[in-house]
Amino acid sequence: MAKKKKKAGIGIHAQLMRWGFIALFFIFWELSFRLEWIDPLFLAGPIDSFKALPEVIGISKPHVYATVGAFFIAFLSSSAVGAVLGFGIGSVNYLYKTFMPLLILGVSIPKVVLLPLFILWFGIGKLTIITYAALSGFFPMIINTMAAIKEVKPNQVLIAKAMGYNKIQIYRKVVFPSMLPVLSTGLFYACHSSMTGIFIMEMALARYGLGAMVYSLAVTFRTGELYAGVLLTASITIVINVALWSLARYFGKWRD
Amino acid sequence: MSPNLARLGFVLLIFVVWEGFARLGNISPILVAPPTEVIWHILRIFSTFTTVPEFYTNAWITLRELGAAFGITVFLGVAMGFAFSANKTVGDAFEPILLVFYAIPKIILYPIVFLMLGTEMMPKIVYGIMVGIFVVVLNTAAGLRQVEPVYIALARSMGYNKLEVFFKVIIPAAAPTMLAGLRMGFGRCIIGVIVGELLVVNAGLGYLIDWASFQYFTPELYALILITLSLGYFGNLGFNILENRWIK
Repeated sequence: MAKKKKKAGIGIHAQLMRWGFIALFFIFWELSFRLEWIDPLFLAGPIDSFKALPEVIGISKPHVYATVGAFFIAFLSSSAVGAVLGFGIGSVNYLYKTFMPLLILGVSIPKVVLLPLFILWFGIGKLTIITYAALSGFFPMIINTMAAIKEVKPNQVLIAKAMGYNKIQIYRKVVFPSMLPVLSTGLFYACHSSMTGIFIMEMALARYGLGAMVYSLAVTFRTGELYAGVLLTASITIVINVALWSLARYFGKWRD
Repeated sequence: MSPNLARLGFVLLIFVVWEGFARLGNISPILVAPPTEVIWHILRIFSTFTTVPEFYTNAWITLRELGAAFGITVFLGVAMGFAFSANKTVGDAFEPILLVFYAIPKIILYPIVFLMLGTEMMPKIVYGIMVGIFVVVLNTAAGLRQVEPVYIALARSMGYNKLEVFFKVIIPAAAPTMLAGLRMGFGRCIIGVIVGELLVVNAGLGYLIDWASFQYFTPELYALILITLSLGYFGNLGFNILENRWIK
């Protein structure tokens, strides 16, 4: 994404400023713990947090499996359904005009208030977590797929047809490549939304997954472990994002 | 049939199916409330003839949290966006950090926030800002960067001073992208505040929703949920008006 261009000419001053800021942040964090600006019951310093990390990794194994499994089911199903439906609705101009405002409304309203209803309908099992996360990921995916279709230039399709491409070749060589940038934006949003959905539901149910683990560490004031758990969860989400990013770059390679 | 009419018909159809399903289907009234009853309960909640306790007090709390969160998001986010785009070094230094934080679902930081800030309005405001600010910063910076330098040079050569260039050239040119960022930021601020209220139940609309679901007052629950959802709808409507006015 935007990162690509900048890598070439990032100045030494910028590097210094960035790492200086990060170092200052950690020093400030440790100081605010050491000097007890905030009660140590509620704040753990970075050193303690990193010390607690091995122990937390030990207890978090089943939670990691639960979260990552639920995330992949929710993310893949929501993006698949969103892409297929979006492709179907987006290809027909009439349907596009009819449903686009409704779908935009679906993105812009805070769906999280449906949380008690989901618990009412689906119980407190894993199904609730996955359904809610899939719904969260569905709207950004379908909207971006529909927007991606508008990126396909009719002229290019016409030329390809004139050059004797058959339907499959047109989709593979013309339609899909021109949809790709917006489509991968949709995937990023869907990934982010369904991940957020998973964690929200896990925290609300407090039974399975990293969200539940982090939440229960917080409400039992095991602050050091809480910070370690948050660090662990954050790094897992970053790994997933980077994986998705390199996938998008691999498919978009022909552009550079 | 025009698309608008078809959409209206589709929405009406959903309501009819929902009503029929709730009234005629073999389904517990605890799970699904028919829409007519929900609308009736919305009216009752607004006129305070209802079992829902202190609706206006709680709604006012949520609105205040939302106002504070969005206000600070706009102020800080736009300021940071300006700083990033005005100075290349600052932008290069901090934007990668911002992108990493943007990728992390902020919800996992919420336990840290409420542990530090307690259970009242503060953690919800801070969490709302954390969720909302990133799109505002990134879109403001992107919008300002894409202003054509030629326009600025032209305006300068026509004798505009710096302030005039800023308000008459740079801001209008950057407005569409900035407004899109603000719109998304607003949507996320609402989500942040409501998530905050639902996970740490203390007061506000989130508290009322939790109360209704805990008592199994299903029609009231549906009504409160619809009222809260409409916050996002009306916010979006407001941005449509702003967009029509500012962007020509």
